[in-house]
Amino acid sequence: MTNARRASKLPFIIVTVALLFVTLFPIYWVLRMSFTLNKQIYSGAATLLPVQPTMSNYMRVLGLIDSVTAVKLGGSGQKINFFRFLFNSVLVSTIVTFAQVLFSAAGAYAFARLRFPGRNKLFGLYISALMVPSIVMMIPNFILMKDLGWLNTYMGIMAPALLMTPYAVFFLRQFFLGINRELEEAAYIDGAGKLKIFLKIIVPISSSSLATLAVITFIGQWNDYMWPLIVGKDEKVRLLTVALGVFRSQTPQGNPDWGGLMAGTTLAIIPTLILFIIFGKKIVNSINFSGFR
Amino acid sequence: MHRSRIEYRERYKLKDSLLAVGFVVPSLFGFLVFFAVPLLRGIAISFTDWDLLGSAKYIGLDNYKNLFADSEFWNALFVTFQYVLWNIPIQTVLAMVIALVMKAIKSSSLIRGALIIPWLLPNVVAALLALAILDPAIGIVNEGIKALGFHPLNFLSTTQLAMPSIAGINTWKFMGYTALIIFAGLQGIPSEVEEAALIDGATGFTAFRKITLPLLRPVLAFVLVTSVIGSFQVYDTVAIATRGGPVNATWVMNFFIFKNAFEGYRMGYATAASMLLFILLVGIGFLQVRLMRADESD
Amino acid sequence: MLRQLRCLMVPLAMLGMLAAGSLFAEPVTIKYILWDANQLPAYQKVADNFMAKNPDIKVTIDQAGWNDYWTSLQTSMVGGTAPDVFTDHLAKVTDFASKGQLVDLAPYVKRDKIDTSIYLPGLADLWTKDGKRYGLPKDWDTIAVVVNKDIQKEAGVTDAELANLTWNPKDGGTFQKVLAQLTLDKNGNNGLSPNFDPKNVVRYGMEIQHSDDRGQSQFSCLALSTGWSYTDGTFKSNYHFDDPRFIQTISWMLNMTQKGFICPYEVTALSNSTLFPAKKAGSTLDGSWMIGYYANSVDFPVAFVQTPIGPVGRKSMTNGLADSIWVGSKHKEEAWKWVKYLASAEAETTVGTFGVVFPAVKAGVDNALAAYKAKNMNVTAFTDLATGKNTTFVYPVLDNGVKVSEIMVQAFDTIFLGKGEVAATLKAANAKVNALFK
Repeated sequence: MTNARRASKLPFIIVTVALLFVTLFPIYWVLRMSFTLNKQIYSGAATLLPVQPTMSNYMRVLGLIDSVTAVKLGGSGQKINFFRFLFNSVLVSTIVTFAQVLFSAAGAYAFARLRFPGRNKLFGLYISALMVPSIVMMIPNFILMKDLGWLNTYMGIMAPALLMTPYAVFFLRQFFLGINRELEEAAYIDGAGKLKIFLKIIVPISSSSLATLAVITFIGQWNDYMWPLIVGKDEKVRLLTVALGVFRSQTPQGNPDWGGLMAGTTLAIIPTLILFIIFGKKIVNSINFSGFR
Repeated sequence: MHRSRIEYRERYKLKDSLLAVGFVVPSLFGFLVFFAVPLLRGIAISFTDWDLLGSAKYIGLDNYKNLFADSEFWNALFVTFQYVLWNIPIQTVLAMVIALVMKAIKSSSLIRGALIIPWLLPNVVAALLALAILDPAIGIVNEGIKALGFHPLNFLSTTQLAMPSIAGINTWKFMGYTALIIFAGLQGIPSEVEEAALIDGATGFTAFRKITLPLLRPVLAFVLVTSVIGSFQVYDTVAIATRGGPVNATWVMNFFIFKNAFEGYRMGYATAASMLLFILLVGIGFLQVRLMRADESD
Repeated sequence: MLRQLRCLMVPLAMLGMLAAGSLFAEPVTIKYILWDANQLPAYQKVADNFMAKNPDIKVTIDQAGWNDYWTSLQTSMVGGTAPDVFTDHLAKVTDFASKGQLVDLAPYVKRDKIDTSIYLPGLADLWTKDGKRYGLPKDWDTIAVVVNKDIQKEAGVTDAELANLTWNPKDGGTFQKVLAQLTLDKNGNNGLSPNFDPKNVVRYGMEIQHSDDRGQSQFSCLALSTGWSYTDGTFKSNYHFDDPRFIQTISWMLNMTQKGFICPYEVTALSNSTLFPAKKAGSTLDGSWMIGYYANSVDFPVAFVQTPIGPVGRKSMTNGLADSIWVGSKHKEEAWKWVKYLASAEAETTVGTFGVVFPAVKAGVDNALAAYKAKNMNVTAFTDLATGKNTTFVYPVLDNGVKVSEIMVQAFDTIFLGKGEVAATLKAANAKVNALFK
């Protein structure tokens, strides 16, 4: 490597390291707080390492400590059904992701490549829905769920996002637009129908954007708070993110249960992190795509 | 043979339309039931006085008239614009930088994963974390600042710094996610195109500006439109980290709306404000799409 | 023999059906919610006792933290799935009542001859409006000064001084002196020293949170001790934030932040104490519902001290909770049975033994004191104020609570961030508040 090339790599390395630091330091702080006793969250706040590392927060979150001891550790003594909430979140997020990506991809392809009357107007409507503040639709949807008897059920939590969101359709349509038309035209001339083109050409080529959308949808659903809070209050269907609310302050002007909150958060991130690592490879592996061959 | 080719094409047109129906119907159904109808109901609510618990009373345009006369509404609008102007440019530029870094580090999906982690945190936790880290007296950031010899900064508790701090928190949270989308778009640019540009003598930044950016246009349009829309609807961070304060320096639109709906028992008023926000976003959105010509692909 | 057996058949069959019927009879389920998870074990015990006495009623308790409690309660009312009984707060009861969401308990109280004199005086009436009743008191709280004993010792403040704090808005009395003594600057000078540097304080005398219209853990004990009151009466809405005594109190507090004895606004966290647990403040003001927090979540010993004696004596704001029945409950009679039990001396003294709240029945107070003592906490500072003469004060029970709070929070932000003059800001805010009630 010549000196010039090495020099040109330097700013790149600096930028990367700086980005990693800014991104990861607060995450490190989450970990640090999760291993700190509530007693020392404030008094020991100025040190980079926890003053007296402890596993007790994690044990509290997983329900492995009895409630009397939990209260002594600054917790609330309430029993937390961690694995049930984890299961609920995994179930709901997975189903929604699968269904939403499937139906939105179909819709997006139609908007990007098929010609039908009113296509652009309809797409315009979809995009407009993107811009409606969520509270507008929250209450009418809530009443709809109540009328359907879907309150406090998995169906009620999943329904609004199951078939599509304007975001997903918009996202995929933009990607489909960017696909080289020559490929499709070549296949068309060879006699393939639109459906076959979709399945055999578009989908494989878009695997990176489909995977990206799947990850985005999963994580969006995983972290959704307001809607599952009002629709899925029952413990049987409560989602993990909503359940973490038990670590926030219980009383007005009270302190959060920092240790429990951070331990709970760390545990809650792990599934999404794993998902991202698995899918992350998929997003990268389509590097071999070449539109010209 | 001539006739059969025309027939062939016409049969294809019919098949096309049928296929289009099949492709569109599921998402259309979802759109109508969970977006369009609630939106219409929402519009209807905006013409009423409704406290959520009783029945709604029709009052025509009164909500809108009162909104225009409400200085809190205009303040909320002004504050929200400030937030968007702080958040979007910085977040988008940083996201672009991160996306390029991701592309350059092909070998390490670990680093890619690391840059995404902030986005995995639930909004509520991120806001509480920010409160802890940015605390004026005991936050670690200020400990660092003090160690460097400077005076601690009151990030969330002064009117000047509160809004930029909120913007900073959300930028930190979402720049990785935005980068992910741009990165996916970068993936879609065939490497031959870039190699061809290099062979032709275009270097680094020029190649980026003249080749990569234009090819990224549909994706960038998407990123900007959705980020701006999301930005205007900031809520969780404000509700937890500053509660609209100090004074009303961070009293953004969604905070104004939620407060009126749930604590003020004025659902109609809140929905009317949401409608006005919606109209604003539609205007901005279509302006963006037009400016970026996002309907076309190069 | 067979004929005798045949005679028994019918009654036996009937008995059988009765038995089967009661075996298969659905117990009525009453849903109950509360927000303070610390109280869950106590109320679970109460529910268990209740269910033992009433085998045909099942009580389920659910908990939602304060931040989400009211939003999800409201949406569940909209959705028709609200709980039968819920813990109510004086700030919200008038809203729910005026929107017809609460069952009037007065007829039940009359019918079952409930004796409301078992509660501490004044508490029961707070839950009535226009002859209707929306709850029976279940607990109360007061405010006290919380002191870090280690810092107290280091600063040389005696227990006697703390027990007899005096205050007035002009020179701050001994209260100000003690605060100054607890304050420390970078060079080790305390606030009484002539070399004290208010620009480099490392430990404040007191941490006070951001105030709202109630100022429960902020200005209330001081302002009330001047003889000032929020309005003309508990149910009257003429606010007096522009009263000279109130202005003087707030000015004194602002002065203390400028002197460095009380931490400035910019440094306190938004909604909870940070300096006091971090040992960067010698004292704070807090309510009895936080006793458990100080027992478990700070790593230094604390003392609870009565609020300072002001120009008209010691004062503390007091608040109380009660349980209300939702108007949409399908089992109002069973819900009433549960509420009646919750408000009974038996249930409240049980709650008292858990040492998490002070029950509203007079008899329960001693139980609670003993329970706290067992945890090594001397909480007489709270109870003395509750049982003293004329020492407690209730915040007015009125409408428009949220808006009043918004206006005053912004007013105090403005004042304490140095963006507005005390008297002018308070006068303007008061006018705005009173305009809401016209």
